[in-house]
Amino acid sequence: MEFPAALFPSYFGAGPPQEEGGPAPAAGWGEHGQVLEGGPGRRQVQPAFVPRRGATGEKWEAADGAAVPMLLPSAGCWIPSPAPEDILYRSGLCRKLRAGKSGATLDFARQLGHFFVDHPEDAFGSLGRLLHKNFYLGNSKLKRPARNSAIRMTALVEDINRLEARRGCPRQHLASRLRWFSHLCRDWLFEVPLGLLADCLHEELMQQWSSLLFDDSLTGGALAWLPPEDGGTPMGCLVHPGGQAMNCLYFQDVVLEELPCTRGSPAQFELSGRVQQVAAARVDGQDFVGVRSDYHCGVWRVPGKRGAAPTPLQVIRTDVPASCLTVSPHLPGELSVCTQSGTVYLWSVETGLQHLRHDPQTMFFRDHSPWRWSDFTAHPRVLSCADRTGLQCLDARAPRRCHFDLFKVGEEAGCQQGERVVLPMYLGRAHPSQYLVTTQFSVYVLDERLPLVPVLKWSHMMKAPPLFAHLMPGKPGRSHNVLLGASRTQELLLLQYQDSFGGVSSGGSQSACQLAGTPQKLHSITGCLQHLPTQLPHRHHLLQQRLAAPAAGLAATLQEDGPQKSMLIFQLSEAGDVFCQRLTHKAAHPPAPPSRDEGTTAPGSSPLFEAPASSPQGLGAAALRYRRWLRALSRACTEPPLHTWPPSLSQRRLFTRRDLEGLAGPSSLQRQMRQRLRQTMKERGRIQHWEPLALQPPPLPQTLEPAGGSDPLSARLTAAWAGDWEQWWEERTSFSVARRQQALRERRRRQKRAQGRRSLSASFTSSLTYQSELSELSDTGPSLLSPGHPPILSQEGSPSAGSPPVRGPTTSVVPDEALLSSQSLRCRGIPKERRKTLRDYLSVWAEGPPEPPESPRS
Amino acid sequence: SSNEHKLNFKKSKEACLSYIQDALLQKQWKRAAEFLTCYVESLEKDYSREHVGPSEMIWRIGTEILWHHSQNGMKEFSCFMEQMKTLGVKRYLKVCLEHVFHLLCNGQIDEAYQNLSLAESWRFGEQTAIQDKEMKLIQAYRGLLDYYSWSKQKNILLDHGEDGFSDLSVEQEMHGYFRKAAVNLKEIIKIPGVWDLFVKCYVDLLEFYGDHNEAHQVLNEYAYNSKFPANPNAHVYLYQFLKRQGESKKSLISALKILHDIVPSHELMIDFNTMLQKSKKRKKRRLGLEVIFAALDYAGWKENAKAWNCLARQMKQIVISEKYLDWIKQEWNSRKDWWPAFHFSRYLAKRNWQENKSLSYEKALVAGILLGKGCKYFKYVSQQGCKAQLKRFRVLKKFVNRHNPVYLRISG
Repeated sequence: MEFPAALFPSYFGAGPPQEEGGPAPAAGWGEHGQVLEGGPGRRQVQPAFVPRRGATGEKWEAADGAAVPMLLPSAGCWIPSPAPEDILYRSGLCRKLRAGKSGATLDFARQLGHFFVDHPEDAFGSLGRLLHKNFYLGNSKLKRPARNSAIRMTALVEDINRLEARRGCPRQHLASRLRWFSHLCRDWLFEVPLGLLADCLHEELMQQWSSLLFDDSLTGGALAWLPPEDGGTPMGCLVHPGGQAMNCLYFQDVVLEELPCTRGSPAQFELSGRVQQVAAARVDGQDFVGVRSDYHCGVWRVPGKRGAAPTPLQVIRTDVPASCLTVSPHLPGELSVCTQSGTVYLWSVETGLQHLRHDPQTMFFRDHSPWRWSDFTAHPRVLSCADRTGLQCLDARAPRRCHFDLFKVGEEAGCQQGERVVLPMYLGRAHPSQYLVTTQFSVYVLDERLPLVPVLKWSHMMKAPPLFAHLMPGKPGRSHNVLLGASRTQELLLLQYQDSFGGVSSGGSQSACQLAGTPQKLHSITGCLQHLPTQLPHRHHLLQQRLAAPAAGLAATLQEDGPQKSMLIFQLSEAGDVFCQRLTHKAAHPPAPPSRDEGTTAPGSSPLFEAPASSPQGLGAAALRYRRWLRALSRACTEPPLHTWPPSLSQRRLFTRRDLEGLAGPSSLQRQMRQRLRQTMKERGRIQHWEPLALQPPPLPQTLEPAGGSDPLSARLTAAWAGDWEQWWEERTSFSVARRQQALRERRRRQKRAQGRRSLSASFTSSLTYQSELSELSDTGPSLLSPGHPPILSQEGSPSAGSPPVRGPTTSVVPDEALLSSQSLRCRGIPKERRKTLRDYLSVWAEGPPEPPESPRS
Repeated sequence: SSNEHKLNFKKSKEACLSYIQDALLQKQWKRAAEFLTCYVESLEKDYSREHVGPSEMIWRIGTEILWHHSQNGMKEFSCFMEQMKTLGVKRYLKVCLEHVFHLLCNGQIDEAYQNLSLAESWRFGEQTAIQDKEMKLIQAYRGLLDYYSWSKQKNILLDHGEDGFSDLSVEQEMHGYFRKAAVNLKEIIKIPGVWDLFVKCYVDLLEFYGDHNEAHQVLNEYAYNSKFPANPNAHVYLYQFLKRQGESKKSLISALKILHDIVPSHELMIDFNTMLQKSKKRKKRRLGLEVIFAALDYAGWKENAKAWNCLARQMKQIVISEKYLDWIKQEWNSRKDWWPAFHFSRYLAKRNWQENKSLSYEKALVAGILLGKGCKYFKYVSQQGCKAQLKRFRVLKKFVNRHNPVYLRISG
């Protein structure tokens, strides 16, 4: 390839960047940059000039209103990665304190608390077991002999709860008891020394936060397109990760049609880590696919003929996370690997790893980022190495001696202050000696024959740094297309550049690089949301979350079908979805009428779900694709994973069938009452006295402690209103003392047990799974109640409360307090020795039963 | 409160800007223009301390819209640019330059010249470093346009000169242009940068007036000053100048040697190799072999039949003479682990044979010498050649078979 006969004029400086930095919203518009004389033919009356930016480019138009799903969503729900609100400290006070100051406050205490609750065994295991006897968890005062060796924890727990409730209150005094306790046992209570644990947690939090701000592990993208063989059937192969942990690698054959569709089932490989990057290159008619996860890199070979199975060739393991893996476009089975420790290897499948360089420091100035990148250049033995400060090329045959600087963040390239390299990419398929370098502000095209001076520079104005790039080389004399993609914002930008102007008239000879056409924004995955049919709110929320998942990869291909040219762009999201969009090439010569020029894809219009006139079946293929995807998604996601089921338990082993039979069906009393109620309503009268009250079976102790809404006061008022207050009072006081004492004793024992259980069970109830086997209980549920109870079985805080039963007859019901009382058990004929077992069993998940109100006199 | 008001204003400004951005990126020029008219309001209360203020954004966005969506064409555009020039003092020169570029690209050379002259006479207080650079560029572009006028007059004179008719006023005018152009061009090429266009024009002027020393010095400075970037074109211009001047082979070779050192993959390396091969000196011929081997290392040269021809010719000479086989051996040593896969795979043999028979001939010869008659590339191509009954492939096969011991010596 010839070197351009003349380059665009530019100044050349050295040293650190002078220009003040910062994202500039419109910095890429309205600039020609420079001009160069280079029109067709030199001997002309007037010289003809061409601009560095602003030449006419190819015209691409989106074929659909939105990106269309390529693959059906995988089974199993996607777990979104942590959001800022998960790890940031939120409180009014904090916000006030922070006003003016930049930087975020991480919610360290909450995370540490989560750890203690979620992993009590790891946090306090051995001492917890040792001290088990010395911590008293009951409510009552400790008796004398016990007080010598045990302390009462309930008060401490209350203090902690109070502290939690007052969180954010400026006048927050630490309870002295808490301080005393923590002072006493901070040094020995914890399994892992608290300081060490806190350090580790803090480090992890910082790492999570920084990866939330900018996650560079995804650099390069985890999606690759293996194009069809020349002249063969238009069937390519899409290489993408999948599975819940993104640790499966799929090679999916795809037929390029109007909308590309999958053919056959994919070849699947399960890997031992999350796939961070998939890189591919074609050498000698074979595709080599490199896959990077944090500690492993692997390489596959895919024969050029589609349909043939990919073969895994080799895997390497690294001690430090790898940050880059690129595949050589020159030699089969050669790759380059970088690790975060600053080591660069040339990896050949035949000869193994060759260590090229190790430098934990950055190249041109100091930068804290451990990110490193490496790629190939026009010379198969010369590799480029990059960090955030720039790029160097080094010869693999003598890496110490032979190297030169290719790009430097500095005045040489006219960079801004604070600018950092985000993604370098070898543009070999378009031009053997050209390189693309993106930073958070600009894109640069470099020519390795003229190092340090970019042959093209443009500020891309993207909101997030472009982590993915894809090149689609044009035919000689035509412009090359470059796609830039960001992760968090899912932005996609199409750029065109050419390295020969004048086109055919000047013979397409080599000339200086020019940016052609205007940059074009393409559909993002989340953009399709507005075109989708209206969903139920919670579905909509789920869908929104799913579609807005950060992008994780980008691939594209040009498809030429006779005179019609189109571009297919695939985008991968972190949720594992692959979306695809098609751009069609518009011939440049007839200037399109302005009305058509504008707003074919204006927001608000939704051509996706409108029936296009041309399509006979009424709906476009894209809409059908969406229908299917949505259906599959709702199937995959509404089926909640097992552990989120409300706990239920089998009572088959607790009650015999006979035990329960006697109670089936509404009692005669209920039937009687209902009939009366109905009749009164028909007569539009009112019921003044519930006369049959006398017929009531001996009142259970629960009548004293009505569950739910009927507290003693309202019961008393109701009675007063009905006019038989005296009778009510009589009833309350005329309880036999003996019976009440018994009831109280019973309750105390129960509470004690529940308290003890609660503290232990609090963190593992969620992980215990009870299969729903409570159908019989729930069917007969209402009949277990005394008529005095409201006929809804509910318990505050239980997951089933308030939500309508969605699962029909199998809906589980949390056992009522009634089940636990010994009277109720006795009256069901449960033998005494089994009662305790039953109670223990039930109390496991009778977590936080409403405290029975104390009777007014005690 | 006023603070809140400011905040709201800022927010709506940002929202408006993002709408404009969105429209521009989707080529909805009309929509963008409508939003821009709203955005102009932000000029009124410009509290921003950002380095790209609203006035610059309006200039940039407005220009972009007018490029793509303008009814009255250049007139409207110029009108807009004039307004923009008055909007900010700091950006005056930059806007002027961009305006001139647009005029130049649309062929309005005279208007561009007027604008350049106007911008050159602009003075406002003390100039910043950036403004200084912009001013130098404006002068340089004016010099460039003067050069074009000069070259036009020169052509007229030369045409008329053939008729034996000379016009004194035209000649004087031409000299005037020369002076104006030379002053400005000379200024800019002193500053480190990439000034291919300006250097070429300046050297052309100097050569016309016979000032070869000055031209040589300018080109030397442009090529060898370490403050300038390592621009291959600087060396190419020097080489072409030396060639035009009929300089000795030695100086030409030394100029190309430096180019070879900085860009071994430059297309002039073929000329360099032919020049060296013709040389009587052993050392030079050896360098020639090195040069062509180095060039063929690069992916861009993989299918360059000319280069393969150079290599094949020189290697054939060496093999026939059976002298200097160690040259080949040394070159091959650092390449034998990757050239076979890079150049001589079976896949490439097939493709080269299909696409370019003479390329595959040259490559097969090189492969046969370097890798012996058992090499996949050589075997495939010679078989196909014999099958197609091409005489030279049969000769090739015979040659390689006869000289097979050479391969053993090279690889041994």
